[in-house]
Amino acid sequence: MNKPSQHTHSIHFDGVGLRYGRGEEILKDINMSLLAGSLNFITGPSGAGKTSLLKLVYLHMRPSRGLITIFGQDTSQLAARAIPKTKRRMGVVLQDFQLVDHLSVFENVALPLRIRGLKRQTYGEDVISLLQWVGLGKRLYAFPPTLSGGEKQRVAIARAVIGKPDILIADEPTGNVDDAIGKRLMRLFFELNRLGTTVLIATHNHDLIPKNADIYKLDNGTFALETDGHG
Amino acid sequence: MVMGKAYNTAKQSPLLFEDKSDGRPLFMILVILAFLASLTLLATKTSYFAAAHWSAQLSDTATVQIKPGEGGLSQQTAAQARGILLQSETVTDVDILSQEQSKALLRPWLGDTSLPDDLPLPLLLSVRLKKGQSLDQQKITAQFRQAGIRADIDDHGRWAKSLTRSARMAQTISLLSLVLIIITLVAAAIFATRSGIAARRKFMSILHQIGANPNYTARLFSQNFALKSFKAGAIGALGAYLVLSLLAVLARDDGGASLFLPSLKTGLTDLYWVASVPVGMAIIAALTAWRTVMKTLIAEIYP
Ligand SMILES: Nc1ncnc2c1ncn2[C@@H]1O[C@H](COP(=O)(O)OP(=O)(O)OP(=O)(O)O)[C@@H](O)[C@H]1O
Ligand SMILES: [Mg+2]
Repeated sequence: MNKPSQHTHSIHFDGVGLRYGRGEEILKDINMSLLAGSLNFITGPSGAGKTSLLKLVYLHMRPSRGLITIFGQDTSQLAARAIPKTKRRMGVVLQDFQLVDHLSVFENVALPLRIRGLKRQTYGEDVISLLQWVGLGKRLYAFPPTLSGGEKQRVAIARAVIGKPDILIADEPTGNVDDAIGKRLMRLFFELNRLGTTVLIATHNHDLIPKNADIYKLDNGTFALETDGHG
Repeated sequence: MVMGKAYNTAKQSPLLFEDKSDGRPLFMILVILAFLASLTLLATKTSYFAAAHWSAQLSDTATVQIKPGEGGLSQQTAAQARGILLQSETVTDVDILSQEQSKALLRPWLGDTSLPDDLPLPLLLSVRLKKGQSLDQQKITAQFRQAGIRADIDDHGRWAKSLTRSARMAQTISLLSLVLIIITLVAAAIFATRSGIAARRKFMSILHQIGANPNYTARLFSQNFALKSFKAGAIGALGAYLVLSLLAVLARDDGGASLFLPSLKTGLTDLYWVASVPVGMAIIAALTAWRTVMKTLIAEIYP
């Protein structure tokens, strides 16, 4: 019922500001409207607030001011029990991956499906093909502490996309891999986007941004559309 | 899909890992406390049942000792005394111990020397009383005096009183120990659960981040820690049960002393009693885990 296509905007920020504690505002008056099914990139110098902005989107914290609407719902009005439900519709890849060290690569990727109560038989093959696609077909049994940075990143990406989320959020998803793998991983996001997922990626690497994407630039706490992928 | 066959897709591995190192000392503490709690529980139970057993035996009987008078003792005097006793409302039955039985009672003191038949032995009457009733000593003494019978009446009251007093003391001490151990055990179970959750804090956050319901996570932790506490409790309780059973076997080999160890012999009932220890621990751990996880998750659900 809440399919993203029914809302014009998947993610909507209206006059959003964020400060940590009593510090200065690191995000000032952010206004953005991401269309359902759009492909969006955020760039900006280190410390500009990209990660912080993404955290606001995936409901990790509340803004200091302003209004955030996700799937057409004002997030400040969300009931506690609606929050996990909203989160399950998002796939998130973080800069520090957030993998579960005591679970194998396979189990890490299967986790979003498992918490939905799905049975192993129904998703086992999907998880394995996805891991083969990201080049980890031989590391199914490995545990995250034994993986390289790039391998961890690929596990995190696989976990974010396995549930075919309505919104995909990725923070520097290709920061630890070479360009060849980076391009391959990006294709995963584009494929998901083609199926209707709203994609929001923060990255430094302009080479990976396709021409049809909207690029937003975050600098000094303010936010501007730099390139409109639709002309 | 070759890999698909290679990876066991049928079996779900547990989401919560069994900690190899960090939880060990706490687990041992839980086992030892469960052991102590089970021992104390059985000791307390024994002290209550034994006291009830003794006082019931002592208070429902009395002994009347008829002293040899000038004319010696005759069965007639004994029968007369028995008649008087039976008239009393609280008496259910009176046995006249034969000379042989009386002699048998003296044997431990006099040895196996054959006693001369004309040795003036007191005649003993064993009186059984109605449950919880006592002998009206004054009335019976007066009736005996009227009939010219010289007798001592012992209703074991003094015995029972001092026995009750020491039993009470044993009960109080074991009950106090039991309460203290249970408090320690509860505190340790709560602490072990909380520290176990703290060690899995990151995992909890990841589950929350990918959208697990707080209920789901709480149930996961709850079940895990309930099981762990149950295991510790079961090992401790079973250990205590086995130790007591062994002690009981050794005590039985001694032959005597059975009066003071009336229920040291362990039975199936005792197993039920000690089973309450692991079950209680599991419940405490489950509740603690549930509360701790829910509190943490609700606090950070959308900060
Ligand atoms: N938890 C926090 N508490 C206080 N200040 C923070 C916190 N997280 C981030 N900041 C500050 O907010 C600013 C923006 O940080 P953020 O991580 O969003 O930047 P970024 O654009 O993602 O940088 P990078 O490209 O290096 O990842 C920085 O100045 C940072 O020091
Ligand atoms: Mg960042």
